Amino acid sequence: MREWREKEALEWSRYAFNLVRVTVCGDVQYEGWVFTVDPVSASVVLVNFPKKGQTCVQVVMGHAVETVEILKEADENITMQLTNMFSPAATETLSN
Amino acid sequence: SPRYAALCPAAEGEQRARSELRERFLRTLAAAAHKAARFTMYERVQVQARFGASDVDVLNFHVADLQTPIGVQRDALLRAQDVISFSFDL
Repeated sequence: MREWREKEALEWSRYAFNLVRVTVCGDVQYEGWVFTVDPVSASVVLVNFPKKGQTCVQVVMGHAVETVEILKEADENITMQLTNMFSPAATETLSN
Repeated sequence: SPRYAALCPAAEGEQRARSELRERFLRTLAAAAHKAARFTMYERVQVQARFGASDVDVLNFHVADLQTPIGVQRDALLRAQDVISFSFDL
């Protein structure tokens, strides 16, 4: 548990946009695409697309993280999709 | 700053990575504001509330309409230490 929190930003960056499995409290697991890892709290932001047009965001608190295992490497498609998701350009449509 | 980078060249990449990760986290919090969120707490307690904001060190979350067994709390602070995870739909 301590190990995940003590990583450096460059190490956390390597998880970005990969599909991972995060284990907390021994048996609870979360899977999703990593959008970011908060360098302050070590919290992992996972994104899932359960159905077409539906996006679920899961924030796993850094203090609870035990292990993070990469299941699938990022590809160009998912990287684009995630980076555009919260960008200011994507939110501009709200003012229409 | 360039001066800091010159004094400490190894830290520059680390600093950039840190700022990019943090910016994306802050955008996530901004996206969560006013949305219905499900919190998973220790002891496997699940609560629902409307997400408000987090403090800068991510120690507390401000939520609204927290649904508790004894009723709905209009405004509440959840200690981040008691939370395992929370989720919301975009």
